[in-house]
Amino acid sequence: MKESTISPGLLTVQRVVAIGVLFGIWQLIIASGTMPSMLPGVTQIFAGIGETIVSPLFWEALGKTLLAALTGWVLASVIGVILGLTIGSVRFLDRSSNILIDFGRSFPVLALMPVVIMLLGSNSIMEIVVVGLSCLWPVLVQTIYGARRQESAVADTVAVFRIPVMLRFRRVLLPSAMPFIATGVRISASIAILVAVGVEVISQAPGIGRQITLMQQAQRWDMAFAYLFFAGLVGWGIAALLQLGENRLLKWKRQNDD
Amino acid sequence: MTTQTPTTEATQTAPLLMKVRGMSMSYGEGAQENKIIENLDLDVEFGQFISIVGPSGVGKTTLLRCLSGLLRPKAGTIEVSGTQISGPHPDLAVVFQDYSRSLMPWMTTRENVAFPLQGKGMGKTERNNLADENLAAVGLAGQGDKFPWEMSGGMQQRVAIARALAYNAKVLLMDEPFASVDAQTRFDLEDLVLDLQHKLGVTILLVTHDIDEALYLADKVVVIAEKPATVVDEIITDFGDTRDQLATKADPRFAEARARILVRLRKD
Ligand SMILES: Nc1ncnc2c1ncn2[C@@H]1O[C@H](COP(=O)(O)OP(=O)(O)O)[C@@H](O)[C@H]1O
Ligand SMILES: [Mg+2]
Repeated sequence: MKESTISPGLLTVQRVVAIGVLFGIWQLIIASGTMPSMLPGVTQIFAGIGETIVSPLFWEALGKTLLAALTGWVLASVIGVILGLTIGSVRFLDRSSNILIDFGRSFPVLALMPVVIMLLGSNSIMEIVVVGLSCLWPVLVQTIYGARRQESAVADTVAVFRIPVMLRFRRVLLPSAMPFIATGVRISASIAILVAVGVEVISQAPGIGRQITLMQQAQRWDMAFAYLFFAGLVGWGIAALLQLGENRLLKWKRQNDD
Repeated sequence: MTTQTPTTEATQTAPLLMKVRGMSMSYGEGAQENKIIENLDLDVEFGQFISIVGPSGVGKTTLLRCLSGLLRPKAGTIEVSGTQISGPHPDLAVVFQDYSRSLMPWMTTRENVAFPLQGKGMGKTERNNLADENLAAVGLAGQGDKFPWEMSGGMQQRVAIARALAYNAKVLLMDEPFASVDAQTRFDLEDLVLDLQHKLGVTILLVTHDIDEALYLADKVVVIAEKPATVVDEIITDFGDTRDQLATKADPRFAEARARILVRLRKD
């Protein structure tokens, strides 16, 4: 991967400017009066954010959303990795499951929600299932890619030294596919938050999404936007944390590519 | 190494460690069939250093992959310690041509060397100690915590050799192990391998396109040529146990043997 050559100080300035421009555009749109009047301005949103931070209701909702999102994400990651390594390393399975996986990844899981709600009800189990189904595909597809790219010299080594299947899985297949797995896991972390909030909006299962709807119904648009802001912030924070972990874990990968 | 084997043939004077008879190998099927090796015989005695020399593309890697059990020959038999092999065998270890890729970049050198031992079910302390011992034997004492990509090509090759040694196989199969290092490193590694062979008594079968290397290292040089490849000559060298990069290569018998192999490889 190419490192950017820009200095960190300049980069920070650029980012702050970008955010400032965004706020400016927002404020301009509000001022132009083309939008419905209930749309809150920048200052109102900031006030809403301040109000939200001290609200116990918010923290409870955030906790519920995070729990559902994390549970679905972790389950999907574990299942996706195990399934992906198996499929990607067995040529017969890879070929026969190809179409199925291409179909599954492009299937709109949110559209499946009514069925899942009918089966499981409007609760956190249902939320976890929908989040998990949405997160599964990126992890699965990336892991299959990773497992396919097995170096032939590594495969020969494993065969010659008669490495048992489970040890091979854990110490060869998993680490060699790890750069791809990490990408899939990171992508699906953002998806997890997104889908969890979406599910709560649609199904009224408890969490941030439900609070957003309630605030909208109460005409508290500033609060609704504040909640949205936090949902985005959490997703971004998780992705950043994962990137950090990935950089440490995959030191060998970057060295190897040079 | 003193090892006794079941005598499979009463007529055999020295018991054979490896015995290859009528081995043929081809890639592809039917009209697409590409014959690479035909009707090849090979005897490997205990403690012997055998070089197999042949031009590039003749089928040396193919032969070595068959001998190591990675490929199944189309015809013929390969026996190790008196039993026919049907796949990779615990008595055989391989040092690959593509050594840098055969080391796992996510493992330290110690873990790389210990990994096959873990596969054998050996405990952590024991296998790590063995790995350190073997790293020391190849001149890499105290380097166990480094990663392969922190090392030069020559050092990586030493790690691959240490891994094969630690596995405690009876035969080391080496595929052009020194082809991609510089000349000085190459001489050092050749002498290291000779030294290890004398100290540990392992049997080594090395494949190379380099006639000088084949002669310098081996007790017996097997020349393969033609298409499909077969054994066209065998030379028992007689340079003794202590060899020297300058003196041995200046020996008149060395020049004579080299000329004989060159003639063999030039015709056909
Ligand atoms: N997997 C393979 N499939 C088809 N042909 C192969 C394969 N591997 C090697 N060959 C062919 O077999 C011949 C011998 O190759 P190889 O054993 O690598 O020779 P060497 O190691 O002596 O250079 C070459 O012509 C090569 O193209
Ligand atoms: Mg070769």
